[in-house]
Amino acid sequence: AELKYTKDHEWVRVEGDTAIIGITEFAQSELGDIVFVEIETEGETLDAEEVFGSIEAVKTVSDLFMPISGEVTEFNENLEANPEVVNSDPYGDGWMVKIAVSDASQLDGLLSAEAYADLIK
Amino acid sequence: MNCRSFSTQSKPKPKVSFLNLQGSGMSAIERLCLEEALLSHDPLKRSWAIVGTHEPRYNSYLPNPEFNTSNESCLIIMGVGAGGKPDSLLDIEKVKRDGVLAVKRFSGGGAIVVDDSTLWTTFIGRNDDFPHVDPHSESIMAWSANDVFHKVFANMKADALHHNIISSEKKNMVMDTTKSCQAALDNETSGKHPTEDNSTLQTTEMPDFALRENDYVIGERKVGDNAQLIVDGAWLHHTTFLWDYEEENMSYLTLPSKRPEYRGERDHDDFLVKLRSTYALGDDNSSKRAFFYHVKCAAFEAFELEEVLLKDAMKVVDDLGGMKAWFEGGCRTKILDL
Repeated sequence: AELKYTKDHEWVRVEGDTAIIGITEFAQSELGDIVFVEIETEGETLDAEEVFGSIEAVKTVSDLFMPISGEVTEFNENLEANPEVVNSDPYGDGWMVKIAVSDASQLDGLLSAEAYADLIK
Repeated sequence: MNCRSFSTQSKPKPKVSFLNLQGSGMSAIERLCLEEALLSHDPLKRSWAIVGTHEPRYNSYLPNPEFNTSNESCLIIMGVGAGGKPDSLLDIEKVKRDGVLAVKRFSGGGAIVVDDSTLWTTFIGRNDDFPHVDPHSESIMAWSANDVFHKVFANMKADALHHNIISSEKKNMVMDTTKSCQAALDNETSGKHPTEDNSTLQTTEMPDFALRENDYVIGERKVGDNAQLIVDGAWLHHTTFLWDYEEENMSYLTLPSKRPEYRGERDHDDFLVKLRSTYALGDDNSSKRAFFYHVKCAAFEAFELEEVLLKDAMKVVDDLGGMKAWFEGGCRTKILDL
């Protein structure tokens, strides 16, 4: 499925009613070696741009923002023991959360691959 | 205020509110709570520069928990990730035996030990006020080192060298006077002068401040620990500088498995440096006041500074229900149950 992107450097892949969310290659390279991913919002319904978790690299904690509204249904538990997977495979095994999409029309407001590529130039 | 000016700047300066917490009685935990509130809940969305020293153990606003402790002189503070794995950075048995309090802060990094001599500095930057600072750790640390702390420590070094010169001159004067008196007592007369003190003035070699692999160092030794939190539209960068510390308190920290290259295998005693032993001016209180004065001068040069009183800053916390409600609620600073 085609990826959509946010200005906060998250990617979204939609599979039916579920959206899978992670951070982009650009984001992981900017952050540096990721040492911790904290997501404690499983089961919560959050609006777009609300914080769903945080990520730590180089003594810096950065908030992670919901690209679209929905219920956080699953957290990638592998990241608890292996946060570095976000660096090595940000679009694959480095996915962070799955959400049940509240409003699919919000996807139209996200960036296409071309628009995101322009953003990070 | 009367600060030495190093440069003239024609570009507009960021507007920053300056909060001096020296003598406020605020504890380290309360400071962390206030910082997070100012970052995330200031309705005026101000940028901030905050300085001070803090009581490690006893709170002024929060209730004081009952602890069976034999060591109340320090507090252990752990970063977000580290706080989830305290046994990887702490000698848990020793910490528990001594009943030392440990808390998890809202920013990153490892574990530090603070006491009432620790010098705290915090900068909260709104992206709109700081367009020249990318909200990433590297950029923030480079900015703080270049625009603030290089100047602070250059001034600290100049003060310390000047203090050494004055001290030496006074010492020489005393020696000359003593010799003159001695000569008079011995009835040594014409043609003879008291032996001149030919000792040359010894200027102490003082290593310089630098940012090295994300650490603030003096020479080859770490002098302060810094960490960051980046939120939507803003960032926070805080540092605790080691003025002085008890070696026994540092022994609560183990050698971390992940450490900067320049550290090598050095234990805490060989890796850390006390500012007191490097840039002291004779008495601790004067020296610490000088440090914060130089931070304020650097801030005055870099920012359009507005001084804010604690009671006004605390309105942000009051709007969250007060310090206790904030600490027990959304505040990310939490006491660790080891």
